[in-house]
Amino acid sequence: MTSLETTSLRPQPGRLPVRLGPFLPLAPPSLILVFVFAIPMGLMIGLSFRGSNGELATLDNYQRFFSDDLMLAGLWRTALMSGLVAVCVTVIAYPVAYYLARSRSPWRTVVFALAIAPELAGVVLRTYGWLVILEDHGAINSVLLWSGLILEPLPLSKNLLGVVIGLTHVVLPFGILSLLTSIQGIDPNLERAAQILGASRLSIIRRIILPLSVPGIISSLLIAFTMSASAYATPALLGGAGFKVLATMVYEQVLFYIDWPMAAVMAVLLLVMMLGMALAGTRAEARLQCKLHI
Amino acid sequence: MKTSKGLATMIGMIMVWAPGAIAQDLIVNSYGGPYEAIIRERIIEPFEQQFGVDVVYDAVGSASQDYAKIKATGGRPGFDVVVMTASQSLDGCRDGLLEPLTPAAVPNVAALNPRVREIAGECGAVHELQYLSLVWRKDKLPQGLTSWSDLLDDKLEGKVILPTFQNVMAAYLIAVMSVTHGGDLLEAVDPGFQAVAELAHRSVGFEQASSVMETYIKDGRAWAMPFWNGRAQLLMESGLPIDYVSPKEGTVPLVATLNVPSGAENKDAALKFVNFWLEKTSQEAWVTGYKVGSARPDIDVPDDVRNRQITTAADLDALLLPDLAALSQRLPQWGSRWEREVVTQAR
Repeated sequence: MTSLETTSLRPQPGRLPVRLGPFLPLAPPSLILVFVFAIPMGLMIGLSFRGSNGELATLDNYQRFFSDDLMLAGLWRTALMSGLVAVCVTVIAYPVAYYLARSRSPWRTVVFALAIAPELAGVVLRTYGWLVILEDHGAINSVLLWSGLILEPLPLSKNLLGVVIGLTHVVLPFGILSLLTSIQGIDPNLERAAQILGASRLSIIRRIILPLSVPGIISSLLIAFTMSASAYATPALLGGAGFKVLATMVYEQVLFYIDWPMAAVMAVLLLVMMLGMALAGTRAEARLQCKLHI
Repeated sequence: MKTSKGLATMIGMIMVWAPGAIAQDLIVNSYGGPYEAIIRERIIEPFEQQFGVDVVYDAVGSASQDYAKIKATGGRPGFDVVVMTASQSLDGCRDGLLEPLTPAAVPNVAALNPRVREIAGECGAVHELQYLSLVWRKDKLPQGLTSWSDLLDDKLEGKVILPTFQNVMAAYLIAVMSVTHGGDLLEAVDPGFQAVAELAHRSVGFEQASSVMETYIKDGRAWAMPFWNGRAQLLMESGLPIDYVSPKEGTVPLVATLNVPSGAENKDAALKFVNFWLEKTSQEAWVTGYKVGSARPDIDVPDDVRNRQITTAADLDALLLPDLAALSQRLPQWGSRWEREVVTQAR
């Protein structure tokens, strides 16, 4: 080691040790995260173990949850709804993101504005908009009934279908942005080279674009899943009386049944579900990239 | 220096000569919409004039949200008086989150009907009563409705809107349907669940918010529904062709209470405000303004109001009064039954 190197690594009087330097900018956000996220989260997890007779550590609440078929149905419904929305968002967002990433058309700006426009209105407003369109006396059913194509209104709202449609619209901009960033990162010369070598358009998409955009696809799936799993307003408004998901069940437990430990159990399970999906997504991405030699 | 001395002297003189001019703030949490306009005119402004207290009106949050805030803050939610219901009063009193409103602290509490006082508990001052009424469209059902059983009539097939269980109206509907079909308010409720399940099968659906239920009656999707009579009266007065009745089998009241959180900053002013709202003249102003009933049987109101609202000792005696603390304990079990036996029957 040269004298110059030893001097630079030795802590100087009045200076912080070199190893702490890079972490200093992280201190304020870390503190904020600890106070507004980690501590409340810890309190919530602690609350989920609190018994009805004041016990501080009991599994009674979890036992109650897992022995109640209605609550388990809510958990399953949350996973199904979020999974369906994640797939719908990603499938719809992909061609839009591809167009935005590759097109040089003047219409590109218009498409981009339309893709992002839903975010300019609040979730509740957008959901009420879908209610007006999808309900029994809504726009779609009215037109179909008037044209004689159907005799009874189609069940488009107050069920899973209505919620998936509404949430897909709510989450779609995030899927588009996530995929857009990923597709923009793919070198266009790869597509040109494949074209020159005689590859068809479909073959280019299947063998080049799709594999290289796997991180974006997984990111879109994860964002859509987590946003849907924690959504309250859309399932509450479009789902109807029988459509209970974890987010609406937490609301009921907090405000109606005043059973906060049970609400905490549901919130913890929601968190575990989302963390599990994030972990699975990250591993799937790594495995796919490894398989495709990216 | 001279200027600041002069200013201090002036402030001191104002404080000594006009103590009423230094107004105290009182934060009152209640509802928005038509409620806010009426409470300001009939209660808040006269109170401010009489006591020299500035009232800050906070219309954010429903009663359940306000109670959650009181619970989360250990009785220090940032408001001094809140409008909730008897169920929340009982819960909050049990957990020490609400101030006891004894006759010593709020003298006008003693003027309330003892049965109604009892169901709201020591921490709730009952300032308003509504009842679960049967509402119908006069243009569709000119002969009217008189019984809870009328909701099951063939002519109302697909024309009744029901509340979801998260609206307390649903639990009350179970209770009155139980009484109507041979059960009771709390223990023997199987007949109530069976009747409401049958009703669900014939209904147009469920809605949580009373304001959304209203829209079904307004646009004719529903011809009848269970509804709080105060809101029904407001709908009638808006020109809608509806009418309502307290069915012959009897009905349960929605007992609205004034509460003071245990950690309220302006407790003295809060107690004065509660007492003021329970004054005979204030109750008369509120009953005629918001078209609701009162737990004070000694109020004088016009006949058209008296005929429709709970205003007399006889009206109060005729009410079906469930033990709200016991009902509150049964809510999770009833909620579960509602999801299994009622919601699954909906078309």
